[in-house]
Order: sequence, then structure tokens, then C-alpha cells
Amino acid sequence: MQISSCSLSPAVKSRLTAAGFHFLSELRGLSPSHICAETGVSQQEALQVLQAVRGGASGGGASVGGASGGGGASVGPPPSLTALQLLQEEQSQRSIFSFCSQLDATLGGGLPVGKTTEICGAPGTGKTQLCLQLVVDVQVPVCFGGLGGQVVVVDTEGSFLLQRVQDIAGAVVKHCSLLVEDDEQRVAMTTFSVETILSNIFLVRCHDYVELLAELHLLPDFLSEHPRVRLLVIDSVAFPFRLHFDELSQRTRLLNGLAQQLIAMATSHNVAVVITNQMTTRLRGGQSQLVPALGESWGHAPTIRLLLQWAGTQRLATIFKSPGHPGATVQYQITSDGFRDADQSEQPPSKRPRTHTVQSATGQRDSNQSSAGQRDSNQSAAGQRDSNQSAAGQRDSNQSAAGQRDSNQSAAGQRDSNQSAAGQRECS
Amino acid sequence: MVVLREGMCPGLDADLVRDLRAAGIKTVEDVVSSDIEDLAQRCSVSYKALFAIRRVLLAQHAAFPVSGADLYEELLSSTAIISTGNPSLDKLLDSGLFTGEITELSGGPGSGKSQVCFGVAVHVSLHLKQSVIFIDTTGGLTASRLLQMMQTESSNPEEQTEALQRIHVFRLFNIFSLLDCLFALRSGRLQQACAGSVKAVIVDSVSAVISPLLGGKQNEGMSLMIQVAGALKTMAKDFNVAALVTNHVTRSDSGGVQPGLGVSWSHIPRTRVLLERRGEGGGGRALQSALCDPDQVLQTALSHQGRVRPAVVEPLERGVVGKEKTGRD
Repeated sequence: MQISSCSLSPAVKSRLTAAGFHFLSELRGLSPSHICAETGVSQQEALQVLQAVRGGASGGGASVGGASGGGGASVGPPPSLTALQLLQEEQSQRSIFSFCSQLDATLGGGLPVGKTTEICGAPGTGKTQLCLQLVVDVQVPVCFGGLGGQVVVVDTEGSFLLQRVQDIAGAVVKHCSLLVEDDEQRVAMTTFSVETILSNIFLVRCHDYVELLAELHLLPDFLSEHPRVRLLVIDSVAFPFRLHFDELSQRTRLLNGLAQQLIAMATSHNVAVVITNQMTTRLRGGQSQLVPALGESWGHAPTIRLLLQWAGTQRLATIFKSPGHPGATVQYQITSDGFRDADQSEQPPSKRPRTHTVQSATGQRDSNQSSAGQRDSNQSAAGQRDSNQSAAGQRDSNQSAAGQRDSNQSAAGQRDSNQSAAGQRECS
Repeated sequence: MVVLREGMCPGLDADLVRDLRAAGIKTVEDVVSSDIEDLAQRCSVSYKALFAIRRVLLAQHAAFPVSGADLYEELLSSTAIISTGNPSLDKLLDSGLFTGEITELSGGPGSGKSQVCFGVAVHVSLHLKQSVIFIDTTGGLTASRLLQMMQTESSNPEEQTEALQRIHVFRLFNIFSLLDCLFALRSGRLQQACAGSVKAVIVDSVSAVISPLLGGKQNEGMSLMIQVAGALKTMAKDFNVAALVTNHVTRSDSGGVQPGLGVSWSHIPRTRVLLERRGEGGGGRALQSALCDPDQVLQTALSHQGRVRPAVVEPLERGVVGKEKTGRD
């Protein structure tokens, strides 16, 4: 192995090279004082060099540190595991559910632990709300299907509103108290309160990117000291990096380094990392397009990318990229209790033509009612009553189309309700 | 390159090494490139002795020439073409990944690079029953996804378990541990550790560990990048494995995408494939090979099935591995 590929400081490397050493194997068997005499490095540096030599000798020890940081020097063979072990590891880990059963279902049970997830969205789409919801959800006791973990929140925008956390925590505590069935859960509920939720949140405020990067260097130690931490939230990563940068390549470099640090932390400490990102406008041939900020190469950094957006009056969450889940779009809403499934009754009314006559063909109505689901039955009945006899032919065709749509919707609705039931089962 | 030590060759004793060092001659390179006559005078040793030492050192450190015919014979006997498992991608790549070469996949976020990597890993381990080394630098390797892909291919759980055990995963998040790992692989220790012969080494993604060192006023990153490239190339050649790496893309001023890591890296992979996401919601993706067949651009099977179904691992052209490569047309 060449000396230039070791994680030593460039000054030491250049001294070694100047003295004629190019391969680590040449340094084997030398004493520190010998190296000092030949190359002119200090005793301490010579010791570091020899440690690198020994690491390389024993099967390529992962001597991390240096420019990209992330953990202390560990000597030994690099950690190899088979995909089967990885699968068992993945299956033993629980996900953090979001209280939006549709989103959880598409993500296979919630936000995965040990991965990085980015939440992108325009202002007001609910990025911070989702984060706050996750901050509370991760603390749900294990017997309720949660993780019973602690949280580190790195707040760069000043958007961490404690009142809001209190609201959401209150709702979650109330929800869990309704699900209590056995003694274990009863015992867990005695300690699961809004106060304990708040006490398990470690909040860090960072005002600029230097503070953020410094904090990320300190976090691995903090996570080692607090092994119960299961979630790291950075809200947002975009804000400190969108100003004070003259040179864009420098910004890209720092961001890429930050991304690798986060991934390393997520994997080694078994923590779900959630970062939020803002949106920016890209001009392309006279057309403008709303895309996540921080540039093209940052897009590779998170393992999972969620896009939150408005579509008319609906809020939509899209899985933009994920190695393990199909791309999907689901609806959600934000209530006073937090991030929830879209309320079906708040969907815009069906766009069936409506006129105001009280005559109706009863037979048709019945058949349509039976095809239309329970949820829409009122609406469709109303629609039928309203519908005009004179436009019977036209209406018929409309109705059949509408009926189909309704039945689809209601089927979807039923599936949703099943899912939410499943979600509740998971909670209980 | 190599530091002069006593006992390296006959006649090179401790006194001579000390004398040479005093004259500023520290390495074999210095001896070879210096003027022997001048050196003999300065160190007060015989010209003949120095000349003999130089000849021995040159013989020890020079590379051996290999005849083209021998090389061709070796190529025919050792090169294999590993099917990616996706027929249209195989067609694009001239029937698959060639061992001894580096193939690069690049594309924007969510374009399916990792999915193609998973597909190759699954195909090689499940159908070809060979080991795969998967170096994951982005934390994107999801074993449940691998299992999902295998389940569509085979219904035998034992077979799936065995295939999963043939995929050896390294999770490395910085360039130094990547280099360590590659050098360790090259020195052959890990080849033994992974039971069965390794036919493919996948690095997903190589840009994730290199790009934190590029840009700004740092230039050490360039050197490390080329070292990664060198390590990958020699490993691919020495062990006759197919190397598959992924790269990110950057957007040029004109708005088009191009593979990342700049011009220096562009010389490293033998074949580059650019994956693109066409339309909203992950529709069709066009693949394009920059070096192999520049004109060929084709729509892959990924298009209509997207990522819901693992179209990447459709098992076709199974007999391809082991097929003799008769040169490229």
C-alpha cells in the first residue's frame, strides 16, 4: 500500500516521500526514532505513521479520521458482512412511524433506522411539522410498537417550536393511553408523559454552517454517550448553506463531506437521520421548475428523499428516491394533533355535474348506490337527487363514469381505513 | 522508488549505504538515475562494484515484457462476460460486464443506479452462483430489496439464503477506508475470506467518498481519486473481476447532465453508462454508453415497470458467463 493513500497529514506524507519512502511495507520493522532521524518528522508523528503501517499490515485496518472525519482509528480488518447478516440486521430494526398510515405503508412501516432521509418541500408544506411528529413518535414505548428512543434535534432555522411539540406529544400520549391493554403497557404509560417526551429531546441550535459542521464532528461522541438516541433531525441543512458562500465548489465539497458523516453516523450508531431541505427554482429553456436546493450532487446524499408539496388544496408526499421502496405519492394533512392521514371527508367533492331538481330515477340510484362505496353513498345519492331528468342521456354516461370513479375512490378509502387500522394495531 | 537498504543485493553493505546516503542517494531510483562515474568518485568506491549493483537493482525492479500472443491467449482463457441480468442493458454493454474492466453507471438522484447494482449482485449470486463484493459508501444497500428481487427469481428460500450469503458487503464511508479495503482485497486476503470465486466488485458509489475531497482549494483529493482508480484497475486485472462503480452527475451551464468527478476520472472507466429519469414519477430511462457504442441509446425494460417490479433482474442470457471473448468489434 502506498503512503499517499494513508490517512496521514499531508505534511507527514510529503516528508516521508521526500525521504524516499513510497510504500508502507518499507516502514515495517523500523523504530520511531529511526523514522524521525531519516525523515525529520516528530516522534509523535512517527508513532502515527507506524500505527498506520500496522493497521495496513493486519488486513487493511480501517484507520478513519483525517479529512473526512468520522470516528477514531480502529485497527483490524474492515467490517465485512454478508447480505444475509445485513437482512437480519434490517429485520431486527424497527421503523419510526409517522402517524400517517399511508406514508408508513409506502415506506414499509415508517422511516427506517440506520438510513438518512431527506424531506424537501416549499415553505409551508409541513417539513418541520413532520420532523416534530417524528421527534415525538420515536419516543413511543416499545410495548406500543415504538422505539422508546431519544432524539437529537439540530435546529438551524429557529423553527423548533416547543408549544407545537407539546401539542403533538399530548396527542400521542392520549392516543397511547387509549390503546392500553395489558399490564406492561399500563406500566409504560406511567412514565410516558409530555414531560418525559420533552426531557428526551436534546436540542442544538446552530447559527451558521461552521457551527453545524463543528456540531457534526462532536455528535459521534455524544451518540456514544447516549446510546438510546434513535433519531437525529437537522432542520434544515439548506438554510446555513444557502448564504455566505462565494465559492460554490467549496460548498459542494463541505456538503458532500457532511453527507458522508451523516451516513456513517446513521450506520454506526443505528440512528435514523432526518434532514430537511428547501426548494429552489431551476430555469431551463425559459421554463422554471421547482427542485430541491443545494444542487445536483447533494441529491445523491440522502438514502431516501421525500418530497412534500401542495396540489390544489391537497397536501401530497412523494417518495422521490429510495433504494428499497417503489416511488409513490400519498396524501396527508396537518392537524392540531400533528402529521396525519388525509381526512377523506375533506377531499374535494366529486366533480359530477349538479343541477337543482328533485326528480330522480330511483332504480338507477339504487344501482349506483350499491356500486358506490359507503363513504360516497351520501354524496352520490345527493348527486342523483339533484340530477336533472331532462339531461338523462348525458347524465347516464356521466353517472357511469362518476360511479366508477366513486367506487374506485371508495375502494381506496376502504384500503386506507384498513391501513389505518393496521397502523393502530402496530401501535397497540 | 524503493529505499536503499543493506543486503538488498550483493555488495550493498551498511558502509556503502551510509556513504551513498551522505552523497544524497537514498533510493533505488536515485542510484539508477545518477551518474555512476561521478558517484564512484564521490563515495570512493569502485566503479565496477557500483555498476554491478545498478544492474542487479534494475533486474530486480524492472517489469517483464509479455508477448502479445501470450496476452491474447490469456485473454481468451480468462475473460468472462457477466450478464447484468437485464437483457437490454446487456445488449447495450455488448452482452454484459467484462471481467478485468471498470464499468461506470452515472445518473441523477433516483435514476436507478443502485437498482442496477442490486440487479447485478442478485443475478451474479443467484444465477451464476458466484460471490460478489459490494462496497456500499452511501448506506443505500437494502438487503430486503435484494431479497425482494431474489424472490421474484426463485421461490426456494434455501437458494435465496445461499445467494444472500454470497454477497459480501463492506460499508465504508470515507476514502481512506475504501483505499484500505481495496488494497486489502488486492493483496488477496479477502479473496480467500470470501468463499467461492469473486466475479464482480461493485462500488456504490465511488463519487460519494471522492467528492468530499474535490473542489475548493484542496488538491489532495485528486491524488486520492487517482489512487482509488489505480487500485480498482489493478484489482480488476489481477483477479479478473468485473468492477462496477456508480458516479453522480453534475449539471453543466447549458443545463445538460454529465457524469461527475471531472475530466481526470472520465479516463478511468472502460465503459460509462448514463442513466436518466424521463418524465414525472420515474418513467422511462434511457441508457447511453459513452465509450462502448456512442450511437446506441435505448430505452430499457425499467420503463414500464419502474421500480415497483424488479425489471433489472430478468434472467436472460444465462449462458453468457464463461463465453470466450473474441475481441471487440
